[in-house]
Amino acid sequence: MSPRPPTLREKRRYILARIEPAGILLEQKDLYYAISDATTSLWGDATTAIITPAVVALEHGYVVVRCRRGTERELAIALSTVTACRDVHICLQIVAASGTIESLRSRFRKKGPHKKETEPAVAGNGAGEEPVLPECTFAKKTFLIVQCNGQKVDVIEKGFKNTNRLFLTKDDLEDLNATTISDRI
Amino acid sequence: MKITDAAVYPYPLGDASVRRLALQAEALGFDSIVVADAPSGTYEGVEVRSGLMIRDVPIKDVIAAVKRYRDSGRVISVNAANNSFNRAAIGVKGMHILRGIQNADKLAFDHVAAKMASDNRVAVDIDLSPIIMGRSVARQRAIHRYMDIMVLEQRFEFPITLSTHARSLLDMRNVRDVAGLCSLIGMDVPDVERALAGVGTVLTPVEPSVKVIA
Repeated sequence: MSPRPPTLREKRRYILARIEPAGILLEQKDLYYAISDATTSLWGDATTAIITPAVVALEHGYVVVRCRRGTERELAIALSTVTACRDVHICLQIVAASGTIESLRSRFRKKGPHKKETEPAVAGNGAGEEPVLPECTFAKKTFLIVQCNGQKVDVIEKGFKNTNRLFLTKDDLEDLNATTISDRI
Repeated sequence: MKITDAAVYPYPLGDASVRRLALQAEALGFDSIVVADAPSGTYEGVEVRSGLMIRDVPIKDVIAAVKRYRDSGRVISVNAANNSFNRAAIGVKGMHILRGIQNADKLAFDHVAAKMASDNRVAVDIDLSPIIMGRSVARQRAIHRYMDIMVLEQRFEFPITLSTHARSLLDMRNVRDVAGLCSLIGMDVPDVERALAGVGTVLTPVEPSVKVIA
């Protein structure tokens, strides 16, 4: 079967979105199901069939979602209602829309992937042992730093009971009474 | 005009510190945020306004709380209940925002309450969280209620505020997403701009219509 000539092909657009929180690992297929579910839930089957959302790339914390030309607005609204992927709380922040995947790729290559300043220190000889994450104290509790980028610090409470991520800043960790903004800021 | 998210919840109600919420708000295009139960301040150019959310209390307690805090500079909001409660709450001097209208009963906010809100400059909050996180009936009901509120707003021109009610950093949305979500309830771009500036509108003191010069 010969491919359709370009003039007869369906016109498509691509939306680049950043996945938050940074450093989270997702499967492309799971993300497709999450986006498809959000789109169908918001617009219904008939409009979703027109939008035809598809995840075409998932790289460096960014996702490229394809849609039919003219339905970018509908897809963008649907993407803002994506809140979870396989029970992992996520958020998609739209960065740009384009007619080619390559221009979007160049855009996130220019921006760079989510930077990870804090690399976990490797314990012992580094062979098969759990990496040791740096610790910090906040609101009289001990946390492990899982992500650190500029002012932003993501932490998880030490222990096995609470594995939810907390979003803090470096100022919070320096300030002993940091659950609120003090008057001196 | 300050672009404001009218309600976010920091740690321990949410999972982010006030500073981190302010950083995120700045990245998302907001100039200020109303934070529940936190002191006011400015961080990285984002104004953090202290918010007082009054909920599930009788009207006499609402009056007492508003009287106590109305000169404190806080953004005072009351959760909507039935029609008589809402009318009484809107009439309280110093009250700024009526919230949770999507959870109140169908007749909780009628044309009389809308006229009172317009006269007293009390805003009605559009909580975007049921549209973002809700699915099926919950979302449909919220959209329907907000569309009804917008019909009254077009007629009586009371202030509107927009809030994400984010309990997590990941629940906050950027200004463009907010505009897109608001288009679902029939708000166009000028409506959204006005609503994003709604907190500033209700906090600005009313200029008297007649000025005594001498």
